[in-house]
Amino acid sequence: MENKNIIIAGVGGQGLVLATRIISEAAFAQGLDVKTNDVVGLSQRGGTVWGSIKMGEKVHSPNILPKGADIILGMEPLEALRWSHGLKDGGLIILNTNRVYPTPVLLEKDTYPEEAIEKLKETYEVIEIDAQEEAKASGNIKAANTILLGLVSKYLDIEESVWHDVLKRFVPKKAVEENLVAFKRGKDYERK
Amino acid sequence: MVQTRKVLTGNEAVARGFYEVGGLLASSYPGSPTVELLEAVKEYKEIYAEFSVNEKVALEVAIGSSFYGARSMVSMKHVGVNVAMDPLMTFTQTPMNGGFLLVTGDDPGMASSQNEQDNRLIGKFANMGIFYPGSSQEAKDFVKAALPLSEEYGMPMMLDITSRVCHGRGVVEEGEREVHKPKGFTPDNTKYTMLPPITHARQYAMKERLEALAEYAYDAPFNLYEEVEGAKVLLIATGLVYQNLLELQLPYSIYRPGMVYPLSSRRLLELREQYDRIIVIEEMMPFMENELKLLGITCEGKEWFSFTGELHTEDIEEGLFKAGLLTEKRTPEMEKTSVVSRPPMFCSGCPHRPVFDILKKMKVTVMGDIGCYSMSVLPAFEASHTMISMGATVGITKGMNKVMRMEGDEKPLVSVIGDGTFFHSGMTGFANLLHQVDEKDNMTFIVLENGTTAMTGGQHNGSSGKYDVADDLHMDIQKILNTMGIDNVQYVDQFDYKLFRDTLKAEVKKTGISVIIATRPCALKFKIKEPHYYVDPKICIGCRSCVKTNCPPIRMKNYEGIEGLKSSIDPSMCVGCSVCSQVCPVGAIKPSKIKEA
Repeated sequence: MENKNIIIAGVGGQGLVLATRIISEAAFAQGLDVKTNDVVGLSQRGGTVWGSIKMGEKVHSPNILPKGADIILGMEPLEALRWSHGLKDGGLIILNTNRVYPTPVLLEKDTYPEEAIEKLKETYEVIEIDAQEEAKASGNIKAANTILLGLVSKYLDIEESVWHDVLKRFVPKKAVEENLVAFKRGKDYERK
Repeated sequence: MVQTRKVLTGNEAVARGFYEVGGLLASSYPGSPTVELLEAVKEYKEIYAEFSVNEKVALEVAIGSSFYGARSMVSMKHVGVNVAMDPLMTFTQTPMNGGFLLVTGDDPGMASSQNEQDNRLIGKFANMGIFYPGSSQEAKDFVKAALPLSEEYGMPMMLDITSRVCHGRGVVEEGEREVHKPKGFTPDNTKYTMLPPITHARQYAMKERLEALAEYAYDAPFNLYEEVEGAKVLLIATGLVYQNLLELQLPYSIYRPGMVYPLSSRRLLELREQYDRIIVIEEMMPFMENELKLLGITCEGKEWFSFTGELHTEDIEEGLFKAGLLTEKRTPEMEKTSVVSRPPMFCSGCPHRPVFDILKKMKVTVMGDIGCYSMSVLPAFEASHTMISMGATVGITKGMNKVMRMEGDEKPLVSVIGDGTFFHSGMTGFANLLHQVDEKDNMTFIVLENGTTAMTGGQHNGSSGKYDVADDLHMDIQKILNTMGIDNVQYVDQFDYKLFRDTLKAEVKKTGISVIIATRPCALKFKIKEPHYYVDPKICIGCRSCVKTNCPPIRMKNYEGIEGLKSSIDPSMCVGCSVCSQVCPVGAIKPSKIKEA
């Protein structure tokens, strides 16, 4: 079995560490070996942050080789674009469409790369999802990352019951039901 | 014996190892990448754990514990060890009553650090054994190996762990806690009082313990030798570099010393006989390479690999390809996607924002320091102009002020320092200010008292008790400075933009030493929950005064039926601090609550 490699990309403060943790715990509970880079980048808010998860029979390095990722979980479009060079040709990008504008764009020194993000579809399989809207519709706006986890779960060999067990362990106790609902909504998400 | 497997970060694994080996006291000062290490130790109620006021004090706390015979650990980021060097260099001469481990978080590639120093050099300089883990499991295993060895050989130990290993997760086998009762402290000048001539004898003792440990390293369980039959090339690698190397699956033998200092000279001299070529693969300094060369062993290393940054699998492959050990490269060439950068920024409602907006507009020279407010060096502010190390701003400001006045330069100087940094090492700078005051001195200090060590994730500091009743430290910075003899110290609320600006302008005009303590707490730790603000596009003149405060929700946009770009506020991100509405010259930004009423 080949290792499954995921790059997770977003903005400081978007909850990458917990998302990485939940995916790695699910892989481990499924009986796989797993290693991660939880987060690379400044610990302050608002900057570029990214990480990686590798799962399989045996994992040595948590780092993913160039063009070695199977999936990019893009919590923000520009950040998914930033790490797209790490993806295999034809690889999958789960693209949360909720845009967070970086300082050079806010200050009008640069533009948000809408065209380049659109062009990702030419090389990769892109699934666009507005995770915040989906989370709101599922009943808890804070569950956007769980929506994304539900969606990514479709592409990993991890059983649904394993995901449920892990979610129960790692989301706040009072929000377990809402997160399970959000997870299902993400899993059932049909591309628009 | 119960054994369970878990997924742990490197930081959590170090904490677990310390717990299992019977550790009793752990101290630290927060700094990336080792912040979460002490936070993980705090989960074990059997261990006393504290974030100390700085790294030197943290080290001293651990020394006291070790002197009593307890297994003790102190953790800090790599540059933190510089702060702790004075006690470290003398303590490490002593013979270790309780096992002692210094964890240093190195940062090859500087993901979140101001320099790239390789602390293996410090470990050697300070006569310590140095472990270098490359996975969570190794991190735990090496901690468990290091502390008993520290006692057995009378040797202080260092665990040098890089940022990726700290923040990466991996599967770890857990064991039970071993009970290690401290022997207690029996006064013995030859062990605990480092004065000459006691220190003369200690030099020999240090040499002997190092040689004994090097002999133990010959077949120590943590030093792996993986022989490939018939191979004529030996690769030496450790840490994450070793894991990256394994990905290449090469037909060469590998020596992976878990302990990189002291290396076993006997083992290495034997290996030299067996191989035609020895290549050392390591990040940053040629540390192991130099150790081999000191033994007279011909080897290669830095001629093939970068002296700076991380060595990923593809970098190792590239180096070995250049060295002629690979006929082809399997990893594809990759061109990095070039896109607009995303530097970190002050949070919505961050109390630093109005301070630096004002400083930028005043166009004064500002001596900066280390904390979230270091980001003021970046656009949109570019409002602080030096940044060296924790607490340095106060001394730097005094020195520059002195020579400016000598040269007849009367421009004012402003200095900014956070409260965490104030307690860490800024206080001593302030204590030095009144020495040889001159009537021409003109220094204005802004203490950004936000009640937390924000940059590393909100650890407590000396003034946290002001906002968090559960915190036991509640020092009053104004009283401290007054007691030192600095009289002109005032608290000012920086969310009253005009008041803060006018106060600052008045203080900057005055000669002498002025201190303004900005009072608002960290917006991330102590959330602001005010109604959000909105822009009335019919009033907005598009001047961008608000945009230039660089708040995450604020940007220019097109409104239907209105000509030109106007400012806008994303209500989901705005916390209602009101600063943008205060800088708006035409009153176009208003609180939503009034709108609804």
